[in-house]
Amino acid sequence: MDLQRLKPHLPWITLLVLVAAVGIVDDTFLRPANLLSLAGDIVPLFIMALGLTFAIYIGGIDLSAQSMANLVTVVASVYLASFGAWVAVLCIAVGFGFGLLSGYITTRLLVPSFISTLAVGGVAFSLAQYLSGQRALNMDAAQRDAVFGWMIGKTGPIPHELFIAVGLLALTLFIERRTTLGRALKAVGAGEPAAAASGLNVARYKMLAFAISGALAAIAGLLFAVKLSGGAPTIANGFLLPAIVAVLVGGTPLTGGVGGVLNTAIGTLIVAVIRASMLYFDIQATQQQMIFGLVLIGAIALTIDRAKLRTVK
Amino acid sequence: MDLTGRFTREDAIRWAPLMVLIALVILFTAINPQFLSLRNFARITVAAAPALMVAVGVTFIILMGSIDLSMEGVLSFTAVLFCYAFVKFGGTLAAGGWIALPLILLVGAVVGMINGLIHVKLRIPSFMASLAMGFVATGATVLLTGGGIVKIDDDVFRGLLTYRLLGFPLMVYVAGIFVLIAWFIQTRTTLGRNFYAVGGGEELAHASGLNVKRVRVAGFTLAGVFYAVAAILQVAKLGQAESVTGANFMFISITSVVVGGVALWGGVGGVWNALVGVLIVNVINNGMVVIGLPDYVQDGMLGLLVIIAVVLSTDRRAVTVVK
Repeated sequence: MDLQRLKPHLPWITLLVLVAAVGIVDDTFLRPANLLSLAGDIVPLFIMALGLTFAIYIGGIDLSAQSMANLVTVVASVYLASFGAWVAVLCIAVGFGFGLLSGYITTRLLVPSFISTLAVGGVAFSLAQYLSGQRALNMDAAQRDAVFGWMIGKTGPIPHELFIAVGLLALTLFIERRTTLGRALKAVGAGEPAAAASGLNVARYKMLAFAISGALAAIAGLLFAVKLSGGAPTIANGFLLPAIVAVLVGGTPLTGGVGGVLNTAIGTLIVAVIRASMLYFDIQATQQQMIFGLVLIGAIALTIDRAKLRTVK
Repeated sequence: MDLTGRFTREDAIRWAPLMVLIALVILFTAINPQFLSLRNFARITVAAAPALMVAVGVTFIILMGSIDLSMEGVLSFTAVLFCYAFVKFGGTLAAGGWIALPLILLVGAVVGMINGLIHVKLRIPSFMASLAMGFVATGATVLLTGGGIVKIDDDVFRGLLTYRLLGFPLMVYVAGIFVLIAWFIQTRTTLGRNFYAVGGGEELAHASGLNVKRVRVAGFTLAGVFYAVAAILQVAKLGQAESVTGANFMFISITSVVVGGVALWGGVGGVWNALVGVLIVNVINNGMVVIGLPDYVQDGMLGLLVIIAVVLSTDRRAVTVVK
C-alpha cells in the first residue's frame, strides 16, 4: 500500500484516530450527548465550508465567504421585521448574487479569484457597515422564534442544526454527483483547458460554482444570525480559516478536481474534534488560529496535485 | 511609445495611475479647497507611511508573479515584539532601546524567510502559504500579548511622529529613505533584476540558469524586512502595539500596489508604482473624509478600484486560464 493509494482514505482515518485519541484522554468526550452538541455547534462553519468546496473544486478560492456571512447576519437582522420568512430568500439571493459577481469578475474580466473575491468581500463589508450603521443589531426575539425557531431547537437529543446540515449535504451531493452541473464542475477542476476544448461553457459553470459558494455562505450567515439572535459587520470573523481548513483536510486539494462535499463533511468533523481537544487542553479560542494555520499548511502540502502546477507561484 | 511614436496601450497603462492621482487631487480640491493644504498633505503622508512600507515589500513579491497575504499577522507580530524588546532594553532609545530596531528588522527577515521557504520547499502556492502563515503570526501575537496592549513611552522615539521638518513628521522621511533603498535594490542590484526575470517568465529564467527558488525566498525575506519597518513606523504613530495592529493592511497594501500599476501576473511595475498606488488609496481615504463621506465606503471603493486596475492591466490575449 503506497501513499498514493492511501491518500483518498487519509481523511476518515485521521478523523477516527483523532476521535479515538481524544476519547482516551477525555472520557466524557465520547458520550453521544457531547458528540451531538459538538456536531450541532459546528454547523454554520460546515455550511460555509460546503460552499467553499465548490469554489476550490474548480481550482479557485472564495475569500469573500466570511464577509458574505457577516453581511447576511446584518441583512437578516434588519429585514426580519418587514419581510418575515421571506428574509431567508433575500439572504440567499444576496449571497448568490455576490457570488455570481465574483464569478463574473473572475471568468469574464480575468481577475484571479483570490483577488476578485477579496475585492467583492470588501464591497460586502462596506454594505454591511452601511446597513447596520456600524452597530451590532438584535433581532426581535419573539419574531425570530416564530419564523426561524425551528432551526435551533432540539428533537430528543438531536439539535435541529444537524437536520439542516444533512439536508444541505444531501442537496449539494446530489448537485455534485447527479447533475450535469456537477459533472461539468468536475471536468473544469480536473483540467480547465481540456474542458473548454471539448465544448463546455467553462465560464458559465465557474460563475455558478462561485454563486453556489456565495449562497451557502449566506445560509451559514443566516443560521449564525438566528443562533445569536442578531448580526454585526464583523460577527462571523474567524470563520474563513477553519472553513478553508475543513475543505482541505477533507481531501479536496487547492488544485481542484477531486474530493467533494462528502470530503468536506469529514474535514469539518476533523476541525470540530481538533477544536474540542484544544478546549480540553485549555488552549484559548484566539490561539487556535496558530494551530489551524499550521494544520492548513500541512493539509495543502499533503493534498495538492503538483502535476497540475507547472510553476508554483 | 512604440517605434512610430504613437501613444500605445502600454504607455496608457504606465501613466494612468499618476494621472488618476493628479485627477483625484484636483477633484477633491475643487470640492473642498482645504484639501490642498500642507497640513492635510502631512496628514495624508503620515497615514500612508506604514502602508507604503508594506506595499513596497509586497511589490517585490508581486513582481515575481507571486503574492503575499501574510502582512497583517507579520506586522502585528513584529510590532508587538518590537515594543517588548524596546521596553526590555531600557524603554528609551538612549538607554538601549535602539537595539530593538535592528533586532526587529532581523525578526522580519526571518519570518519572511520562513514564509518563502514554506512556499518554495513544500511547493504550496504563495497566496495560500502566506495566508496560513499570516494566521500563524496573528496567533503567535495573541499568545505573546495575551490579548493585551504593549505601550512605548519615549519622547525621542515618538519624535518620529511629533518632530516636524518642513511641515512633515520625521517618519515620512524615514519612509522616503526606505523607498529609495527599495528603488536601489530594484534597479541597481542583481537581485532586483532577478525579480523581473522570474516575473517575466519563470521557465525562461530557470532555463537560463537562474536559481528561481533562491530568488523567491530572497523576495519574501526582503518583504519581511519592509513589513518590520512598517511595524516600527506604526508603533511610532500609535505609541503602542497589540494583536490587531496589522489589521486592514492586507487589503490596503495589495490594493495600492495593484492600483499603482504593478501587474498581478508579474514582471511589470516597481517601487514607484507602489508609491503612486499608496498615495491614490490614501488620497481617496482622506478625500472622502474631507468631503464628508462616511469611512465605511472605503472598503467598497477599494474593492471596485482593485478590480478595475487588474482589468486594465491585464493583457487579454496573453491570458489563458484564470483560477
